[in-house]
Parts: sequence; C-alpha cells; structure tokens
Amino acid sequence: MVHALHEAHRVLKPSGVLIDLRPAPKHRQAGLGVGADFQSLGVMREDFTDDRAANSAVAHVLRERLFRRAFRLEFDLDRVMDSLDDFREWLDDFGSPEMAPSHEWLFKRLERAVQRAGPGYRITVRGPLILGVLRET
Amino acid sequence: MSLTMDPAGDEIRALEKATDWTGRRVLEIGCGEGRLTLRLASLGPAEIQALDPDSDRIKTARANLPGDERGRIKYHVAQAENLDYSPGTFDIAVLSWAL
Repeated sequence: MVHALHEAHRVLKPSGVLIDLRPAPKHRQAGLGVGADFQSLGVMREDFTDDRAANSAVAHVLRERLFRRAFRLEFDLDRVMDSLDDFREWLDDFGSPEMAPSHEWLFKRLERAVQRAGPGYRITVRGPLILGVLRET
Repeated sequence: MSLTMDPAGDEIRALEKATDWTGRRVLEIGCGEGRLTLRLASLGPAEIQALDPDSDRIKTARANLPGDERGRIKYHVAQAENLDYSPGTFDIAVLSWAL
C-alpha cells in the first residue's frame, strides 16, 4: 500500500491532490426501505484488518511529508437492491467464508421482513465511506 | 444483479466538495467497471486515466463507456504499484476503494 501511495505521489504534479475514498471501518447495516424510509434489520460483521493496514500506509506517507492532510469527510453510502436474490448475490460476493463470518442469520431476518412487507419492497445496505484529501507538500 | 449504488448521489457530492475538478488531468486507481469514473467525468475534468488490475472489469468498463466520453476517459489494466506515467503527469489521483 505504501508503494502505491509513493507511485501516486510520483505521477502527481507539485501541489497535486490525492483522494483516498474507501469504506469506513464501521459495520454496515442491512434493512428494508430507501433513503429516509430505511429501517435497519441487522448489523453486518466485518473484518477491518485491511482498513488498519490502509490507515497505517497513509500515516506512513504523512510522516514522510510527501503529503499533508487537507480534508476529510465521512458520509453514508447506500446500495439498493430490488430482491432477496440480489441481496444473496451481493452477500456471496461480500467476502470469502475464511475472511467473513456467515450472514445467513441476516438473510433469514430480511426474508421474514420481506414476507411481511409484501411486493414493492427494496433492500438497502448502508455503510459509511471516508473521503480523505491529501495534498502534495 | 439489480443493485443501485448511492441513489442519493452523496458520493459524487462529497467528491465535488473535495477539490476543483474542472479542466484537470485525473488518474483513477481501482476503477473497477467504471461506475465512479463516469460520475467523476460529470465534474468536468479534461481527462481521466482509469486503472484496474482486473482485465474483465476493464473490459466491462470499456463496453459501458458512452461514445461521447471515449476521447476523455481511457481505461487500462494496471497495478497501482507500477504506474506507467511520467512524474508530474496528473493534477488529481483518486484511490477508488483501492487502499
């Protein structure tokens, strides 16, 4: 990761801007409804090892004074799905069984909620993103 | 799969706040299938070079690229650790979920 940041620094112009956009190390919520109507039905279990490594890499290039931190913003990002099948597919892509715990309990909870909600339901997975802006020094 | 990312547009609003994109040369690292690339293009950069190590994703990104953006957006298979550009090429580099 540090090597990638060094490469970004190399190809940026003096006073160039590096934008680091990635999920915040916080557990995502899954539920029904969209936008202000979202109702969380469960919190996902996630491993944040990669986030710690990324933070460490950024801290490294800040210590090297290649960049200075200019701006940081955290905001929610929603993924909206039209069916339980879509949620299942997204969940299957979410992480390998070795890396992420099973979320079958969450799928079953959503399944029951969908049965109660009837047609027209939508599933949302909500999780915060961090946007960090670094400027070349 | 039917999945809509960020229907409220919070992500692109945050990126718009982050810096001035107009007329800039932009490098996007980790572009995947180009979802964010097309949103970045709406902020007015002169050029976007978008990279991802996954050739299948780049193929999809190229297939989804609107004809009127082909002069401004270029997709490449590449690793973040080995960028094939001269020093000082870009105004903005975006690590798009890449760290």
